[in-house]
Amino acid sequence: MEKTVQNQLSSIKENAIKDFTKAESTSELYNFKVQYLGKTGALTEAMKLMVSLPKEEKPLFGKLVNEVKAELENLYLSLEEKIKNKEIDSKMQNEKIDLSFAAAGTERGHEHPIFKVTNEIVNIMSRLGYSLRTGPLVEKDYYNFEALNIPPNHPARDMQDTFFVDETHVLRTHTSPIQIHSLENEKPPLRIIGTGSVFRCDSDISHLPNFHQIEGMCVDEKVSMADLKGTISFFVKEFFGPQLKTRFRPSFFPFTEPSAEVDCSCPICKGKGCSLCKQTGWIEIGGCGLINPKVFEFAKIQYPRWQGFAFGFGIERMAIIKYGIDDIRHFPKNDVRFLSQF
Amino acid sequence: MKISLKWLNDYVDVSDYYKKPNELADHLTRAGLEVEEITDLSASLNHVVVGLITSKDKHPNSDKLSLCQVEIGLGKTEQIVCGAQNHKMGDKVIVALPGAILPGNFAIKKSKIRDIESNGMLCSYKEIGVIDKNSDGIVILEPSATIGMAYADYAGISDVTFELKVTPNRADCLSHYGLAREIGCLLNRKVKPVEILTKFSTDKTTQIKLEVQSDLCLRYSGRYLSGVKIGPSPEWLKSRLESIGMNSINNIVDVTNYVMLELGQPLHAFDADQLSGSMIKIRQATNQEKFKTLKDQDLILKGDELLICDHEKAVAMAGVIGGLNSGVQDHTKNIFIESANFNSMSVRKSSRIHGLETDSAYRFSRGVDQSQTLLAMDRAALLMIQCAGGTAYGAPIDVYNHPTVKKPIHITLKTISERLGYTAQADLFEQFMTGLHCEIKKISEDSYSVIPPLFRFDLEQDMDLVEEYARLNGYENIQETLPVFNQQPTPHDAFYLLKNKISVLMQSCNFSQAFNYAFTSKNNEDQFLKNTETLKVYSLKTNEKPVIILNPLSEELNALRRSVSFSLWKNTTENFHMGNERGQLFEIGPVFSQDKNIFIESNRLAMTIWGNEFGIHSSTTPNVYKIRAAIEKLFQLLGINSYSFKDLETKIPFLHFGQSSAVIIEGKYVGFIGTVHPQYIQNEKIRVDVAMAELDLDMICQGQPRPSRFKSVSTYQSVDRDFSFVVKADQTMNDFMTDVKKSLGSVCKEVRVFDIYQADKLDKTQKSVSVRVTMQSTELDLTESMILDNVNKIMNSAAKNLDAKLR
Repeated sequence: MEKTVQNQLSSIKENAIKDFTKAESTSELYNFKVQYLGKTGALTEAMKLMVSLPKEEKPLFGKLVNEVKAELENLYLSLEEKIKNKEIDSKMQNEKIDLSFAAAGTERGHEHPIFKVTNEIVNIMSRLGYSLRTGPLVEKDYYNFEALNIPPNHPARDMQDTFFVDETHVLRTHTSPIQIHSLENEKPPLRIIGTGSVFRCDSDISHLPNFHQIEGMCVDEKVSMADLKGTISFFVKEFFGPQLKTRFRPSFFPFTEPSAEVDCSCPICKGKGCSLCKQTGWIEIGGCGLINPKVFEFAKIQYPRWQGFAFGFGIERMAIIKYGIDDIRHFPKNDVRFLSQF
Repeated sequence: MKISLKWLNDYVDVSDYYKKPNELADHLTRAGLEVEEITDLSASLNHVVVGLITSKDKHPNSDKLSLCQVEIGLGKTEQIVCGAQNHKMGDKVIVALPGAILPGNFAIKKSKIRDIESNGMLCSYKEIGVIDKNSDGIVILEPSATIGMAYADYAGISDVTFELKVTPNRADCLSHYGLAREIGCLLNRKVKPVEILTKFSTDKTTQIKLEVQSDLCLRYSGRYLSGVKIGPSPEWLKSRLESIGMNSINNIVDVTNYVMLELGQPLHAFDADQLSGSMIKIRQATNQEKFKTLKDQDLILKGDELLICDHEKAVAMAGVIGGLNSGVQDHTKNIFIESANFNSMSVRKSSRIHGLETDSAYRFSRGVDQSQTLLAMDRAALLMIQCAGGTAYGAPIDVYNHPTVKKPIHITLKTISERLGYTAQADLFEQFMTGLHCEIKKISEDSYSVIPPLFRFDLEQDMDLVEEYARLNGYENIQETLPVFNQQPTPHDAFYLLKNKISVLMQSCNFSQAFNYAFTSKNNEDQFLKNTETLKVYSLKTNEKPVIILNPLSEELNALRRSVSFSLWKNTTENFHMGNERGQLFEIGPVFSQDKNIFIESNRLAMTIWGNEFGIHSSTTPNVYKIRAAIEKLFQLLGINSYSFKDLETKIPFLHFGQSSAVIIEGKYVGFIGTVHPQYIQNEKIRVDVAMAELDLDMICQGQPRPSRFKSVSTYQSVDRDFSFVVKADQTMNDFMTDVKKSLGSVCKEVRVFDIYQADKLDKTQKSVSVRVTMQSTELDLTESMILDNVNKIMNSAAKNLDAKLR
């Protein structure tokens, strides 16, 4: 084959490679592609030389041209991708924003700690098969007191300073009336929890006149103090943490017999003694006991065929202990700096 | 109630607990008698020690002062300047060292007296608070006193008091003797008998006649004492009363108080010469009857009160308080001691009605042992004669018409075992019951008949004895088990779950949850609401008069609230003034109304937003739109599809009338949204945009849960077309968008307004509106001609119905 033809071909190739690699943008690269590989491009022109070649050399020449063409096309594709990547990179470089700060929209709504604690307790007790009930806040004297074995003019009424709205209606002083409604409206066996606002004419550094309670009641054929203790101990471990211990002390509630007050080991100092537990290592969290047969009598539930236990906690107190809140008066203030911590 | 350990020790030996009172307190607390506070009365004798005067010289700068070197133990000697004269070298004395705080809050410090250093003080009895030894000079102790020993130890001043929380069922522990009896049972110790008067005069000439006309008087005992001399009480009596925080009055009154604190029996001492006709008549008061108490209060009686009267007048309100006309006076010579027992409910009622919460009423309303009137009476007689002289007459009065008889309680060990979850032991049971002064009779191997003592009012049924067993055996011995679960679980209260669901949504819309009291100030709420009628239009049931609390804590909390908006408005202003210039709150809570004697609680959802989010990308959309958006999200969550927001027909006084609207679900009003009235904002000096909403939650939640139904998702292409119309300036976007949707029918996927403006070239009655309409068919890809057809439908309908022209 004539050297000149071969030389011509290789110089086209060399020039093309030089030009291709020189291109800085996809459009420039494309122009070079057209210049060499296009319909009127250098390589297409070179193809025309084939006519002047002897017959036996034609296939070889054709093969050579095709090889160069393929080589250049591959080069084109790889360079095109490189340039594209570079272009995107530089676009992204230009679009850089500062994520070291939040430009907007970091606010979220917060659950009030009273209801956060309530929901947590409901969730724990649900796992033991308890379901939630509620009841009216303006309650009949009968449901708030009498049916709970607190007759009129009984000294036990002194334990709960009561708001009256008329002669027979009070703002409920505890959530226990929910138990009575449940005993009247549903059939044992029963496992219920009741929650909501309660009211006492009492307002000072450690008491709100409108606070919250949650209480549970289990009525079944055989229910013992040991079952009550086990249930509360389970609850305390789930709510405050597995290392906490519970302690029962004898106490008095007209609607339970025997009655107990429940202390848990102080979650702050783990029982060593601190200001929250007044150096005792124990914190009072609620009251409980076996349901007094007189309560069953009022609710017309057959005793001792059915027996039961009940327990109650103050929700604000649980929140104070759990989150280390220093003043009960934060709860009704709704200061957003307080709420946003929960 | 305050208890003195020394006093307790008169009846049960607790002297071994003087040095470790917390152990005794622990026993009591674990038995259900919670000790709330322990006070060591010798605390004022800290840093007060026995010292030896090793030298005594004249003070160089004073004739009256002496300069002593005093050895105070461990080989230490201090220099002390002293003003008294009765001491000499070699005397053992009481030394208060720096750090001591003597009675009267007198702190001892290192000081200089007339330029000479003095590191303490030599004490007289007065200075260390020992009042029963009257001496001004320095106390010279026995030569055998140990140098350096704490003076409290040397003198045995170790009284400790307990603040005892006695639950209403344990009236029997409202006295030192009663508590001693309980401790006797708890610690298995002997209880000593009470010393009473046994020597009486036989003269029967002076006698008080008694007439009991009411069954509310259960027992009435009394004794006549003559020739007493009223005066101050002896020191021992004064200090005992003072140790538990009671003031001394005179020897007779102090004895009545003392015996009440000792035996739990309230007593009253009458000046016998003031009892007209030498008689006592017990009757119920008549309505409007007048009575003057010994505290000079004039009462008008209701007729329920029980009165102690003489021949012509009421001399005491039984069990509550004495009268001014018959009490002990300085010149009183003859005393009639009343030791009686009255119906507890009656005493409580009388004391409550008149707000007379006396120690006597407190005890009677909880229950006083009827069998002890004579004991207490003669205990008082003994002490009165010791303290005030005089003679007691032999035959006492005692009317006890219907002695209470305690019914036997039947109990089985099986019951105890089942309820406590461990096996109850017969021997323990018998030991506990005997210790509690119960009479027990064994009926069979497992069962007993138990008669509790009269003073245990709380023991009535077998469960009461179960508690006694558990208590005395220790609650710590009860196991921890879980009850067997063999029942069908029931669902939670549906409304509670729904409220939680709504709460979570509101939080996701940036609202934090608020809790406000159910009560509020009637006046302040009135001022906020102004006109309750308007709220009723929008289904927010609001009575003109709220439910009033009969015994409010204050005027600030005197009525149940009628609206949550007012609560949130207060939260908003308070937050703002606390420096929280922006915030969002919601509350799900009750409001109250009254229909005759039916009280109605309705549930509301209310929200407030104040201030704008601050930041580079914060939006300046009016807050009321954010509230609207949250409500739309809520309705979507609840599956409510048919709702709208419509201009208020009747203005709500606290809202900006140009920026408020009613919320409608399925044609019914459910509440309002709106910007707060500019005047309210101005009055509170808030300076930011405040928007609020209040909705009737009960109405919103009707028909829940609304089931979700699947609609197939179109796979065909959607097409957007933008339009700019010129419409009337008062054209609402809701009507405009509804018209566009209607004109297209099912092919209309979405209509979005993206611009509204009042261009200069338009007159004031017009505005320009730009909307983007998204079309999509569920059957095919829309062709160009179909799209054109739809575009024409939109324009024709808008022109015809809304007089809108394409711009």
